[in-house]
Amino acid sequence: MMSTVYYLIDTFLPFEWTEFSYMKNALLAVLLITPLFGLVGTMIVNNKMSFFSDALGHSALTGIAIGVLMGIDNYLISMMGFALLFALCISAVMDSGTSSADTIIGVFSSTGLALGIVLLSASGGFAKYSGYLIGDILTVQPEEIGMLAGILVAVTVIWCLFFNRLLLTSINADLAASKGINTRFVEKLFVVIVAAIVTVSIKWVGVLIINSLLVLPAASARNLAKGMRSYHLIAIAISLFSGVSGLIVSYYTGTAAGGTIVLIAAVIFFFSYFLNRARANN
Amino acid sequence: MIKRVAAVILAAAIMVLSVGCAGRTEKNIRFRVVTSFYPLYIMALNITEGVPGVQVDNMAGQQTGCLHDYQLQSKDMKNIEQADVFVINGAGMESFMSKVTSQLPNLKVIDSSKGIELLTDESGEENPHIWVSISNYIRQVSNLEKGLSQADPQNAEAYRKNAQDYLAKLSVLRDQMHRELSHITHRDIITFHEAFPYFAEEFDLNIVSVVNREPDSQPSARELAETIRLIRGSGVKAVFAEPQYPKSAANIVANESGAKVYSLDPAVTGEDSKDAYLNAMEGNLKTLKEALD
Repeated sequence: MMSTVYYLIDTFLPFEWTEFSYMKNALLAVLLITPLFGLVGTMIVNNKMSFFSDALGHSALTGIAIGVLMGIDNYLISMMGFALLFALCISAVMDSGTSSADTIIGVFSSTGLALGIVLLSASGGFAKYSGYLIGDILTVQPEEIGMLAGILVAVTVIWCLFFNRLLLTSINADLAASKGINTRFVEKLFVVIVAAIVTVSIKWVGVLIINSLLVLPAASARNLAKGMRSYHLIAIAISLFSGVSGLIVSYYTGTAAGGTIVLIAAVIFFFSYFLNRARANN
Repeated sequence: MIKRVAAVILAAAIMVLSVGCAGRTEKNIRFRVVTSFYPLYIMALNITEGVPGVQVDNMAGQQTGCLHDYQLQSKDMKNIEQADVFVINGAGMESFMSKVTSQLPNLKVIDSSKGIELLTDESGEENPHIWVSISNYIRQVSNLEKGLSQADPQNAEAYRKNAQDYLAKLSVLRDQMHRELSHITHRDIITFHEAFPYFAEEFDLNIVSVVNREPDSQPSARELAETIRLIRGSGVKAVFAEPQYPKSAANIVANESGAKVYSLDPAVTGEDSKDAYLNAMEGNLKTLKEALD
């Protein structure tokens, strides 16, 4: 299976940067992660939840620490478990309506980060785990690529089934409830999706920049799009483009892939911003 | 209700604190040695073995590894403050030393790197990993013994005897390593991180390339590609990673280039055992023979 894919890459992309299989793996991972982020990012930007996904990224650090303390080799399980718990806690506290959403998320975000730092530095030096802060896409393994493909398919299916309900809940929850939509369930479902994709990809994208990858493509697409369909398509296209070009640029300049991808996405955002302003002035 | 809960919490906190304090004053300690990190701790354990009233403490903890970018914590300062002598590696390893000496001007410091010739990298920075070469380690042990004997003259005889025993074991191992590594066929190696130049110099190994000089960042895609091409072109058979750091990058290089990954231990973390350095070096000897023969 993998050798066929490698063969296809070698045939259609016979460049220097695809010569080694770690770059092929990284390319495949980018091709799977970035559309996922573009897609889910649209709803995050719609719902004004960019701070929330950031908090989830920070919580991954605590998830890793719990994995280390419990002696689990694969931190994914502990990260995923903690992120889900964390996400549902945030959403439950927000539902109670005692403080404003950004305050609650801020409290959880800093708690997740601080707890992670304290636990990791207690068990012998934080430096060992600092790789998680910037991530490393080059270490993607073939079986992990399979997992990413599975997640992409699953999220796409959920998106197709629930999109109308997600959208209506996000625009007007009361209206959605009056139409018989279980808004609580839809909101929780979305939170769980975000938690899942953030934790799965944090090892390669990194705690510090994972949120930019979620927010930037969708934010640029919002500047450019004319309707819901084009909003989604443009977000996915921008996400894919910045992912692939960022990976290639990082190979030739010798820089970290994650940061390069985000920088390209940021440049696109400013383009879209000025384009949008120019259009508005005319 | 709240008052009662608060009272219980306060009482519990006081109990925990007082138990924590009791541990310190319990033993009858006359002379306290604090070492900055693991290799020096192992040296000090050997030299002070069986000497009554001497306590050896390791500031950075057994699993910290090298002190690159080490952040002094308040418990470290407290630990150093209570020391009769503070033993450091020197050669720039303890980058926080200026902070320590400005806070504690009367602290007695033993610099174990005295008299050791330092290697520098291309940018002119001194490489502090001197103990990885067994000959340098032997000098460090002698320096440490001299320093301890001066600071605690009444036990000087015991320190000297312990050091002699330890040095004897070390030089037996050194001779064995030199003998067995003198006729290996391949001498070109690639290492990850900057820990091995002194080791390579001692055993006449040629470090073709060091990937990823900074220990806690990952090599970039281009750096990996250059290393792989270098290995393919040069016939290097083995890349050496360190057990202290993740092997992912080393595995990538090995998979692509056909070289094998081995683990060389710079003896910078390990268990609380006085033979830890000897064991690590014996392990390295075995690894090198297997990898390079």
